[in-house]
Amino acid sequence: MKALLLLPCLLAFFANATVWAAESASPRALVARAAAESERAQTRQLLSAAVGRADETVAPLLDAWRRDTLFLHSRADGGRIAVLLSGEKDDRGAQSALRADDGQPLQDEAGRPMRLVAADLPTAEHDASLRRTMKAILDLAELAAADPGRRTRSVRNLGLAQDVEKLPVLLARETVESAPEVRRALREAIALLRLKDPREEIRITALQELQAVSSLATADVLARVIQEESAAGNRRALEAARKAQQAVEWHRTKVDFAGTLFRGLSLGSILLVAALGLAITFGLMRVINMAHGELIAVGAYTTYLTQAFFGSGMTLPCFGLSLPVPGLQLAGSSREAYFIAALPASFLAAATAGLVLERGIIRFLYRRPLESLLATWGVSLVLQQALRLIFGPNNVQVSSPSYLSGNWLVGDVILGWNRVFVIGFALLIVLGMGLVLTRSSLGLLIRASMQNRTMAACLGVRTERVNALTFALGSGLAGLAGAFLSQIGNVGPSLGQGYIIDSFMVVVVGGVGSLGGTILSAFGIGGIDQVLQQYLPLVAPGLAWVPGIGGFLQNLAQDAAVFGKILVLAGIILFLQWRPAGLFSPRSRTLDE
Amino acid sequence: MKLRLLLASGAIALGLSSSGLRSAETVKVGVLHSLSGTMAISETSLRDILLFTFDEINARGGVLGRKIEPVVVDGASNWPLFAEKAKQLLEQDKVAVTFGCWTSVSRKSVLPVYERNNGLLFYPVQYEGEEESQNVAYTAEAVNQQATPAVDYYLKEGKKKFYLLGSDYVYPQTTNLVLLEYLLSKGVPLANIGGGFRRDGSGKIISAGKYTPFGHIDYQQIVAEIKQFAASGDACVISTLNGDTNVPFFKEYAASGLTSETCPVVSFSISEDEFRGLPADKLVGQLGCWTYFQSLNTPANKKFVADFQTWLKKSNVPGLVKEGRVTCSPMVLSYVGVYIWKAAVEKAGSFEVDKVRAAWKSGLTFDGPGGKVTTQKNMHLTKNVYIGETRADGQFKIVSSFENVYGEPWLKGKFK
Repeated sequence: MKALLLLPCLLAFFANATVWAAESASPRALVARAAAESERAQTRQLLSAAVGRADETVAPLLDAWRRDTLFLHSRADGGRIAVLLSGEKDDRGAQSALRADDGQPLQDEAGRPMRLVAADLPTAEHDASLRRTMKAILDLAELAAADPGRRTRSVRNLGLAQDVEKLPVLLARETVESAPEVRRALREAIALLRLKDPREEIRITALQELQAVSSLATADVLARVIQEESAAGNRRALEAARKAQQAVEWHRTKVDFAGTLFRGLSLGSILLVAALGLAITFGLMRVINMAHGELIAVGAYTTYLTQAFFGSGMTLPCFGLSLPVPGLQLAGSSREAYFIAALPASFLAAATAGLVLERGIIRFLYRRPLESLLATWGVSLVLQQALRLIFGPNNVQVSSPSYLSGNWLVGDVILGWNRVFVIGFALLIVLGMGLVLTRSSLGLLIRASMQNRTMAACLGVRTERVNALTFALGSGLAGLAGAFLSQIGNVGPSLGQGYIIDSFMVVVVGGVGSLGGTILSAFGIGGIDQVLQQYLPLVAPGLAWVPGIGGFLQNLAQDAAVFGKILVLAGIILFLQWRPAGLFSPRSRTLDE
Repeated sequence: MKLRLLLASGAIALGLSSSGLRSAETVKVGVLHSLSGTMAISETSLRDILLFTFDEINARGGVLGRKIEPVVVDGASNWPLFAEKAKQLLEQDKVAVTFGCWTSVSRKSVLPVYERNNGLLFYPVQYEGEEESQNVAYTAEAVNQQATPAVDYYLKEGKKKFYLLGSDYVYPQTTNLVLLEYLLSKGVPLANIGGGFRRDGSGKIISAGKYTPFGHIDYQQIVAEIKQFAASGDACVISTLNGDTNVPFFKEYAASGLTSETCPVVSFSISEDEFRGLPADKLVGQLGCWTYFQSLNTPANKKFVADFQTWLKKSNVPGLVKEGRVTCSPMVLSYVGVYIWKAAVEKAGSFEVDKVRAAWKSGLTFDGPGGKVTTQKNMHLTKNVYIGETRADGQFKIVSSFENVYGEPWLKGKFK
């Protein structure tokens, strides 16, 4: 009976104990206990108690938790304790264990420091809701972070959550904050929180503030405020909210415009890089090179091999033989440098393939363009199947190095590093090509031989060699394109098929034989494609007037990714009707042209 | 003369008895998948798992005492060819049952053949619903066994804005339309559903979401749009992008600074098997939703995975890829399909399609690697649904599960 009476008391004690522990423990110890807790509800409660109290020791702990490197050690008494493993692995694979709650070495009963094997231990569980709580903890801790970018992000998150209780924290931060971008985010966040104020005057001031800041993130909140204020009949607040919304929409228009320009430039650069090799093999040499796409694929696979070479190596099942690719076993940034090495490697690999192709097949077909079409098409099928046999039918993974997978956010326009890189690189190789063709003696020989092989040969130019070198150069450029495209899309045996049509389109529209035309047409096609993708859905509602097919057009224009491509192709067909020789047709005195 | 006649009749009798003996020993079963062409990457795995399952059943004595004799044909990713091969299986080989098809278009093209010949097709891949043939056993996930549980999970996670993105064909289009109705029924306003809408003359929405063609590479504009969509927080993406278009999409997605924490993506077409060709580091934390994951921690699943790996090692099927193999939901649903068919045949005591169908409709259960499944009157399966988070090693960590979800193919107009 007594025991029965005791039970509720005990339960109450334990319930209180959790709260009591939560109040007195250090934030770090709280997180460590939360991680070790087996009841999900308790974990949530403990972790929530740490919100707002985090110090710099908590962030690495939460980070380990999220990345599944916070381990749970079961003690002899059945309890669990969260531990971090650090230091060198010994031959057993064990590392020294540190207690998560105070960072001290974990000791066994005899007081000796323990060593544990990561693979034997369960990791601390987490789900999305726990991760959000972790994020809330980090957000508040982040308010004091040293990096202004991190402070900005945390302020943004707090503002959008519109939790009025956080207002004092933000106001306190505003008094000490000096970085301009963080101050801007603070203005926005404080205004957002003040929208929850019951007094209309304060809300109107906040709306005016939001109008001045005009941030895209506030668009949804403003739409909601307009609904609320119009329902409540507050005309002045409604007016202020409408103005703020207009400011945000105007900002969005500007961002979309600049973004479209950038994306057009980037797509144009990709088209240019992919087509530049063809501008040489087809444009200058007049070989209808259907294997151009596969030369791009050779470059992409070379990048893949270089990645394996810098990493842990691999074994290729090559026609029944196992071909080992040694690995340098590099790690970190030196491993990521593989992409820099992959650029010359893919150029050389594709150039070699091109050289073999030219010497083996194409040199017999210079005067027979239609047969070169068939022969190179055959070569493309052979190359595809060869890639499939060596690397397998599935796509292979080429990882993006960290210096190519971030972005700059300039006034809400995303400038991806890979895109900026491809634009810069396209300009660089175009410049290089231009210099080689117009300023070097090799360029002179190339131009002379391509214009009139017989005459050049009569004048003592070794046209055979020039042909081979030119074709290798064009193929090498295709290989470079492959290295790039591996950063943007798939690397598989049929990679080339996706680019061959675009490449021919660019060269033909630009004018066969004209490098400048190729550049202009690449950027033109890229730009028009992006403009259509961005603005077709906007003009869609305006297409209803077309008799009969208005509704159809409206819906089609919504599918901008598909319809845009169709429009570009249709435009090109019409353009070629008007100018069959493309943008720039090189003038020549030979009779056959 | 007499002697010759006797000999001849003896030979005929011998021939008859030996062929009779053969058909008594084995039962012919069709396998109709693409072993070449675009879909071969996915469908070859299903052929492999089917052959494994037949071997497993044969080793334990077969079905009704008869060994399974697989008749493997190649649909070659060519939809009219699928119909021809189906006809061959039913009319020439006279198979008792067929396991096959991946894409909805291949299923639609063989459907008339099965209905005309009263054949039975087991279909194992997640599909858009709006179909209920008496000649198809849908072991596949219906939309409410994949898409709507994923939405439920998102809603529970506090997501308020949903961006619909897919490849441009029948499965994503139909699924997104159902999802649109479902989201609206859950009180999500139209303004919070991204991707755009297409309407008919009367203004009724006939298609929702953003679509890209197969092989699309340039996802810059779409990702920029999602970034703006997600700027105000609590947003997520529901992706029915198919195959390798996922690679450029996720590369662009990661490069634009969107993560699984700011705006998670749930993909309905990426299973462990597809993962082998995707950049794992770009997908960590993104979600998948299936009725099976290889990471399921049950004894039945562990045994299944281990048995399949052992079979791979010792099997001598030509062209079998033995390295780096995984198991995924369509594979398990193929496996489960064979066992359910076996159970139905044994209950009916016959290989006749009508009797097997009646046995299916009577409600059979099977404890598969993904948990218990039960057959339904509408030719679908009740099964468990799991939501998993992608890990760097290409496996999923299960974060949520729904038990015994009834397979409902007719969802359009259900949610009001």
